[in-house]
Amino acid sequence: MTQAIDTTIYAAVSEAIQGEAQRILSAGEVTAIVGYATARRKGSAQPIVITNADDAQKLIFTPACVNNLAVYLTKAKKEIPKQGKIGIVVKGCDLKALAGLMGESQLKREQLYLIGVPCAGVLASTIQPDTQLTADTIAPKCTECDAHLPQGCDFVPAQTPVTPELEKKYAAEIARLEALTPKERWAYWKEQFSKCIKCYACRQVCPFCFCEQCLCDRNKPQMVDTTPRPAGNTAWHIVRAMHLAGRCAGCAECERVCPMDIPLNLLNRKMAKELKELYDYEAGFQVNENGPLNSYTEKDDQSFIK
Amino acid sequence: MSRIGVFICHCGENISRTVDVERVAAQVAKLPGVAFSTDYKYMCSDPGQNLLKKTIQEQKLSHIVVAACSPRMHEKTFRKAVEAAGLNPFLCEMANIREHCSWVHEDKQEATLKAIEIVGMMVERVKKNRVLPTITVPVTKRALIIGGGIAGIQAALDIADCGHEVILVEREPSIGGHMAQLSETFPTLDCSQCIMTPKMVDVINHPKIKLYSYSEIELVEGYIGNFQVTIRRKARSVIEDKCTGCGVCMEKCPVKKIPNKFDCNLGMRPAIYVPFPQAVPNTPVIDRENCIKFKTGKCGLCQKVCGPGAVDYEQEDTLIVEAVGAIVVATGFDLYNITEKPKGSPIKGYGEFGHGKIPDVIDGMTFERLASASGPTGGKILRPSDGKEPKQIVFIQCIGSRAREKGISYCSKVCCMYTAKHTMLYHHKVHDGQAYVFFMDARTPGKSYDEFWRRSIEEEEAVYIRGMVSRLYQKGDKIVVMGSDIAVGVQVEIEADMVVLATAVQPQKGAELLAQKLGISYDKYNFYSEAHAKLRPVECATAGIYLAGACQGPKDIPETVSQASAAAAKVMTLLSKDKLEREPIVARVKESTCVGCFACKKVCAYGAVEEKEIRDRQGNLIKVVAYVNPGVCGGCGTCQATCPSKSVELDGYTDEQIVAMIEAL
Repeated sequence: MTQAIDTTIYAAVSEAIQGEAQRILSAGEVTAIVGYATARRKGSAQPIVITNADDAQKLIFTPACVNNLAVYLTKAKKEIPKQGKIGIVVKGCDLKALAGLMGESQLKREQLYLIGVPCAGVLASTIQPDTQLTADTIAPKCTECDAHLPQGCDFVPAQTPVTPELEKKYAAEIARLEALTPKERWAYWKEQFSKCIKCYACRQVCPFCFCEQCLCDRNKPQMVDTTPRPAGNTAWHIVRAMHLAGRCAGCAECERVCPMDIPLNLLNRKMAKELKELYDYEAGFQVNENGPLNSYTEKDDQSFIK
Repeated sequence: MSRIGVFICHCGENISRTVDVERVAAQVAKLPGVAFSTDYKYMCSDPGQNLLKKTIQEQKLSHIVVAACSPRMHEKTFRKAVEAAGLNPFLCEMANIREHCSWVHEDKQEATLKAIEIVGMMVERVKKNRVLPTITVPVTKRALIIGGGIAGIQAALDIADCGHEVILVEREPSIGGHMAQLSETFPTLDCSQCIMTPKMVDVINHPKIKLYSYSEIELVEGYIGNFQVTIRRKARSVIEDKCTGCGVCMEKCPVKKIPNKFDCNLGMRPAIYVPFPQAVPNTPVIDRENCIKFKTGKCGLCQKVCGPGAVDYEQEDTLIVEAVGAIVVATGFDLYNITEKPKGSPIKGYGEFGHGKIPDVIDGMTFERLASASGPTGGKILRPSDGKEPKQIVFIQCIGSRAREKGISYCSKVCCMYTAKHTMLYHHKVHDGQAYVFFMDARTPGKSYDEFWRRSIEEEEAVYIRGMVSRLYQKGDKIVVMGSDIAVGVQVEIEADMVVLATAVQPQKGAELLAQKLGISYDKYNFYSEAHAKLRPVECATAGIYLAGACQGPKDIPETVSQASAAAAKVMTLLSKDKLEREPIVARVKESTCVGCFACKKVCAYGAVEEKEIRDRQGNLIKVVAYVNPGVCGGCGTCQATCPSKSVELDGYTDEQIVAMIEAL
């Protein structure tokens, strides 16, 4: 019998979100709210943008609310009206992405109304939406979550999630890969990258891929081969991993949307681990204007220079 | 279609010995876009440059590749020649087939193939070169001198005499620096004060020099020709404009027994003081730590007795901003102190010398004050402990210097000469005394220097012992000096009355902090680094900043003065221009793709990146993007490497050019 995870608070959380959404929209505090709503399939959820207080009761929070909604606020996606203050429903992991975007001058805190979600976890992408949340069906990122209760939000429902200790899935996988020889490890990633079809879903869903023109779409000069062949695939995934180092907070959306099941967040977590070890840096709730890779202090570890 | 001309240089035999230059010329002639190629013995010579100019016109060349030495050597030469022939100089590139090829290879066959590849890369690169207009920036015709020692004074007077305004900033209450502390100077034994004070007076009287004494540099912004410097004028508690320098306040001050730093703490001064009688400006300063008024709120005597009402206890530090075009750094030196192990430094202390606990072991500067007629003893050589005249005196050279095991490997350069001078001054003042000198080598190059040193031995009876001292300890009122005489191969023990240590010359404390404010580089000892040890010895790598004196490395007075005048000449060259031309190798932002993450702004070492608002015709904000100020940009390319969307390009080093080079391989 696998360990069930208590999600009973989600009903009350949904109610609280609806109440707050109703209030801030009618009071004119925000012009729009990005949140989750019920989708067509049983138990499923999808992102929604509401601008009318009457639509507030559409907002929900369930274990199927997997999306990182921060992506809708980025320049590259341009989904949300530019003017006015925007409300957004955020899980802890999504809030870290917003903090990163603020640090990189993409968003301003005063333009956002943050509705935080007390979250015990969401379902893995491979699981049917109306399944009970258990240690087996939970998204791998949730097994390592340190952000069940978002901090620094404008509103957070009063409920406290019950969060049992779970086996850390990425840490285990990283440890397994680190134990391999470089040759074996290279073979592993080569195989993973060979699956890539260059659909760029990982890029489109990533809140940190906010460039209006991706360097991979340039052809003068062409930085990365655009066709899904081994060299270009590897180049793309390395560029992606390097650009996310010190920024990615692990919402794992890239991995969720990858149609070829490439373990993309594994690469991101390994980079985050490196950054933690080298610069004692972690992407968190704090807005940092100087990330570890674009700042220098004399205390920086230089042992890698040999 | 480009008509590229390629010129292969033999560099005498430097290149042609290892590279078949004719074959290179023949091969690159076949590359698409190359209209002309040839080889020549010395491209940089006059006939070589004329060949280049003549061919550009005859062959109607559009781009030039000169395959020769490193661009650091002759890029300017060839770009100038190309410009003279009517082409934009930035359409000329150099292919380095000397340092990168002929000098590092032996096999002619292989080296020739490599040279062909190198030239081929540059041909592809030069095709993508754009015409770059020279950038001109205005020049503020004023200079800032940091440090009012002999270096700063000399530079200030030279520049001011040339007609430019000078701002002279000195940290201490008076200018004069270490030279004002010296008694006599080698090799002529003229009185230091006598030659120094007229220059100090010249500074204060010069209509073009603005002196900020008791002030420090707070912030430096801007770039060559256009610096904005914020200066902190520390609260003197005496209003300079009102003070007449009568000195009544100092006489009346009830606190009298404060060790005077100027006299190496041997003499005493009041709480309101000038460091020495000839101080410039002759305006006292209140030492707030020791003043009764500041400690208890009572007293206020100096204010009562001051006729002009110049004493102001309420005075606060003020910040002023000065615009200057050039900066001379002349912050000088400090002496190594044996009393303690310097914190956070690899330098080890001198435990075997008692760590400064023996009162009659003094350093060279303290001896200068003892020997100085204006010093605490009126020029008599007396022991600090009991005021007796030392009859046996031991000088030990190279304390800290040339002692790798102690942490300093360099030679302090001045100690051999000043120790010889000390033995003479001692002999002149203590006729029945005997001076001994422990030394490793006597280093006396310089005009009349070796003669001076010989004189100390032959005429002034100093006994020189080649060898080092292993231990000093107090025995009764004597100091036992245990050393070795390696010339004879015996241990030597001398019972001395006084010991003088020639301690190492070090940069001023906090030298590195000033360097960080200025953005100039420094070595591991915190001495400031010149741009080139031989060919640019007074310039910093940072444009518009120059070095004078011992802040760059140990120097004696003649050398310091020469360097100060040299730095002044460089400043005058710069200030003689109305506009400054600079290489247009600067970064440019592609605004259409910039997402305004400002990673470039965070990494820019020059502070060249600004935020720029893009608005539509109705004035609505569309987005905020990065903008690189071409006057400030140093052309390092860090922003280009950092930009996630590749929206910053460095002119002359665009991604297109670099990729073209790689693809040519």
